[in-house]
Amino acid sequence: MKRALPFVIIAAGLGAGLFMFLYFQRSTAETPSAPSASVASPSANTPSTADQAVPGAEPPHALGSAKAPVTLEEFGDFECPPCGMLHPVLKNLEGEFGPAKLRIIFREFPLVPTHVHALAAARAAEAAGLQGKFWEMHDMIFENQKDWHEAFDVRPIFEGYATKIGLNVEQFKRDNTGEIVEQRIFLDGKRAHSLGVKGTPTVFLNGREVPFESLAPDKLKALINSELAAHP
Amino acid sequence: MLYGLAAFVSLIGLADSIYLTVEHLSGRSVRCTIVSGCSEVLSSSYATVRGVPLAAIGAIAYFTAFSLATLAAFGYRGLGQVLIFIVSAMFLTTLWLLYLQAFVIRHFCQFCLLSALVSTTLTILVIVAHYQNRER
Repeated sequence: MKRALPFVIIAAGLGAGLFMFLYFQRSTAETPSAPSASVASPSANTPSTADQAVPGAEPPHALGSAKAPVTLEEFGDFECPPCGMLHPVLKNLEGEFGPAKLRIIFREFPLVPTHVHALAAARAAEAAGLQGKFWEMHDMIFENQKDWHEAFDVRPIFEGYATKIGLNVEQFKRDNTGEIVEQRIFLDGKRAHSLGVKGTPTVFLNGREVPFESLAPDKLKALINSELAAHP
Repeated sequence: MLYGLAAFVSLIGLADSIYLTVEHLSGRSVRCTIVSGCSEVLSSSYATVRGVPLAAIGAIAYFTAFSLATLAAFGYRGLGQVLIFIVSAMFLTTLWLLYLQAFVIRHFCQFCLLSALVSTTLTILVIVAHYQNRER
């Protein structure tokens, strides 16, 4: 019996390990990451949580028709690597479904102080938006994320992007620190908090949060298709 | 006695790395969050080795250390040296990961720091236990 005891303890350790795995898995699945975590397939009948939240900056930065049956609202941080990875996915979906079917909204949610340049990037995009070029700057910042992420001072880099996309750079510099830009970021943040957004990217599809694991291209496309089928 | 303590400490490391593995597999930790630098660390390219989460490799290492320490506590001779070899490898990996967090990723993840503390304690315990046994 005594000879078997260490092996019994090892087996108990293995059992404890398996138990911990299942326990953590269950508690991870049960932790609501936002108001609605069970949104694997958003249904047309479920009331939309995003509609009940505070509105955010108006008008929002949106691509696609306001009458499009599917609206995808992203809360993003320009310095967050997974947001950078989601960027080409959303670009492809935008091209694939077109503006009549899919509307994409971007909301600012810079994770300060985790990301040191996130606020500067959000400001740059919003300042470009005041000259009607939010999406051009948004794309530029995401597509070059690796170039400016490590920089000490990002202002000259963003000013370079402003020149490239044809902005009035002096105006851009003024707007960067202006109240309108500040207010827009603040309002988007308020909306994010009212929706319980805690991380980025957080995406809402017709007002219901898409679980992070469903942001893979195929899964997101399937969700949009099922939403289109529900809203013919 | 010291091997028994090492087995217990290994269980703490096992729990920590299982938690990190579950977080990694669920994708939650890959998302950037306000709370800590865990998202940066766990979404970095250093968090996986050929697609396998580093945390899962850590869990296997801790379980191996737990099993060997338990056997050594029950007087299985010769296992002390194997255990020293394994915990030393774990300790060197810990030093490398601390370097990555401090100078490359420049973010610290508290669960990774707990693992560093556990593996350091484990290394000290195993080495002391081994030399104590040799002197007897």
